[in-house]
Amino acid sequence: MSLGRLFRSPEAVAGFAILGLLVAIALLAPVLFPGDPLAIAGQPLTRPFQDWTLPLGTDRLGRDVLAGLFHGARTSLAVGLAAAAASILVGSVVGTVAGFAGGLVDEVLMRITDAFQTVPGFLLSLALVSVVGPSLGVVVAAIALSAWTGPARIARAEVLSIRERDYVASARVIGMHPVEIAFREVLPNALPPVLALSSVIVAAAILTEAALSFLGLGDPNRVTWGGMIAEGRAVLRSAPYLSVIPGIALVLAVLGVYLAGEGVVEGTAAREGQA
Amino acid sequence: MAGIEISRRKVLAGSAFLLASTALPSIGWTQAKKGGRLVVAADSEPRNLNPAIVASNGVFFVASKVVEPLAEASFDGEDGLAPRLATSWEGSADGLSVTFKLREGVTWHDGKPFSSADVAFSALNVWKPLQNLGRVVFKNLEAVETPDANTAVFKFSKPTPLQLIKNALPALTSVVPKHVYEGSDIAANPANNAPVGTGPFKFAEHKAGEYYRLERYDKYWGDNAPALDEIIYRVLPDRAAAAGALEAEEIQLAAFSAVPLADLKRISKVAGIKVISEGYEALTYQLVVEINHRRKELADAKVRQAIAHAIDKDFVVKTIFLGYAKPATGIVPQNDKQFYAPDVPTYGFDVAKANALLDEAGYAKKDDGKRFALKLLPAPYFNETKQFGDYLRQALAAVGIDAELVNNDSAAHQKAVYADHAFDLAIAPPVFRGDPAISTTILVQSGIPDGVPFSNQGGYKNDELDGLIDKAAETLDPSARIELYKEFQKKVAADLPLINVAEWGFITVARDTVKNVSNNPRWAVSNWADTYVET
Repeated sequence: MSLGRLFRSPEAVAGFAILGLLVAIALLAPVLFPGDPLAIAGQPLTRPFQDWTLPLGTDRLGRDVLAGLFHGARTSLAVGLAAAAASILVGSVVGTVAGFAGGLVDEVLMRITDAFQTVPGFLLSLALVSVVGPSLGVVVAAIALSAWTGPARIARAEVLSIRERDYVASARVIGMHPVEIAFREVLPNALPPVLALSSVIVAAAILTEAALSFLGLGDPNRVTWGGMIAEGRAVLRSAPYLSVIPGIALVLAVLGVYLAGEGVVEGTAAREGQA
Repeated sequence: MAGIEISRRKVLAGSAFLLASTALPSIGWTQAKKGGRLVVAADSEPRNLNPAIVASNGVFFVASKVVEPLAEASFDGEDGLAPRLATSWEGSADGLSVTFKLREGVTWHDGKPFSSADVAFSALNVWKPLQNLGRVVFKNLEAVETPDANTAVFKFSKPTPLQLIKNALPALTSVVPKHVYEGSDIAANPANNAPVGTGPFKFAEHKAGEYYRLERYDKYWGDNAPALDEIIYRVLPDRAAAAGALEAEEIQLAAFSAVPLADLKRISKVAGIKVISEGYEALTYQLVVEINHRRKELADAKVRQAIAHAIDKDFVVKTIFLGYAKPATGIVPQNDKQFYAPDVPTYGFDVAKANALLDEAGYAKKDDGKRFALKLLPAPYFNETKQFGDYLRQALAAVGIDAELVNNDSAAHQKAVYADHAFDLAIAPPVFRGDPAISTTILVQSGIPDGVPFSNQGGYKNDELDGLIDKAAETLDPSARIELYKEFQKKVAADLPLINVAEWGFITVARDTVKNVSNNPRWAVSNWADTYVET
């Protein structure tokens, strides 16, 4: 698909612009704000636009809000991408195995998927983090735990149709091992629709991470936007900017990821429609 | 005779009423002292509401209106006490017995008479074996003799200072009814969730997640008490909600800093609302860094002193407590007039000195600027303990100690620190309860079994300090005992088994219509018999 087509809709352009900005912020954070973003940088509760060394002000302990915002982008993106990658990996493997093997294996794997789908995803994440203890890896695992079912179902549906195709039959005839067929012939072709789901998963993962941090279940040694909002909540009436600024960042990030994802899907659909 | 007394009381009350009405003509005849419903914010719902077993402020906040102690703290009473179920107390010269005269004409909420048998039962079967604090103070209590229904004589196997017993009366001596608890598993008795007492209010109901309701006990022994008809504790676990509820007049009082400190400046300007910092003098909370001495770095006094120098106590008081606290100098808070020793070694904020001490201890900075790594567990009970965790991590980073914060919920935190010892540094808010022997010396003493919360679980052992604690526990002369504790404070400040950072009392925010608020040093956890709502 050509880039021109991808950027045809204004929504997609906006989405990619926001996403690009976000990635730039995340990459530049250690350059622009070296050192610990949780370090105390100035007078506590400095308001935004008062002191140009601390453009967005400071929180209750005197930590730089802008530095927190930049480093928080890293956490949000890292968690979002890692959780999405993990859930797509697990989901597509489970879906492929279920769809390709069929029979009892299919039944068992799909009932397990059902079981995970019936529990609200956020509760599942909450439970895991509160049992194992909050750290970045656990948060990623907790989000992936509730997000892998979507990719699993889609992958299985795709595999069910692909496995009846002629090239799969011929692979069987030439004596390829079923595992090889599943993962070299079937999975790559089942992947595109699953990948289309990734933007939704990334957006949901960013929100889940923020919600966990807001509830005090994020990694306390890292800045996260959710944690910043939670910190600001105690002074919501007297210093609302502490919650509003990371809140806006969160909205923009989720919006950007979602719009960019939509753009990709639309671009792909347009290509298929033309073809 | 009784009839005459009552009529005299009525005359006095009547004249007081007249005086009040002339003093405040605008309120005129609508002013009524009796009656009224007080709605207060409650931020937690304790599982066990029996103050004789769980002597903690969360329990007292509700249960102290229902179950009474032998005496309550007082601003102007003798020994700082006001009599409740006991009217007088006297110790023997050998320190082996204390005689309590008990109040006459007191009844339990179920109608049965209160007697010395209830006190004996509570002391021997509840305070001594089951209560978190009573286990320490009453450990040598052997028997309670009851020569008559209104006399209880406590017999100790070792000399026990009367000073300690007196200081322990408000928090440790909640009397529960023998007839309700006898012959049952006391810890599992249903009365622990619906307490029966002698206090001015009866326990009426508890709706989980919604409210507790207490109602007036008409046969209460106090004159013209209680003033209120009803107390409702509305469960508002969200601290931000209490301020809004006060402004909307949904609640009339929020104690224990339920309104966040950051909101006080704003809410103090709202008409009809007052911010009160009195009424917590006997409930001083201490912000403390607990140290696990099993870590070889932290077993070195120089490292502990360096950590003390790295903490800017004034910053903590100003920024985290917004001025509603005091920097601590040692293990006894400054507002304790009996025991506080000002002349102890202190550790001013001095990063260079902290760095020098760490170098001296042999932990030089490595290439990445760090000396060693630590696990830091802030207690989750208060916003302030959590925020201090964030601050301490930064303060330690400034001297090259890499602290990793570990956040847990209350249950997991207590298990990690006090049972599993899975911490290097922890932040705790212990309470000073008027006598070091009640809940303070156990922060230092060795040989405490695993799992006892707010005690020395850091593996610290100092024979000299243990000796001082033991000696003070059986020193009968009050001034000699005070001298021993002053010595104790100096030694603690020199060796730093733990680091005291700040000490604070809480803030009550109430509507102006609530009267007789904060009129004793443990007001929030006292019986509120004279509190009323002006209508």
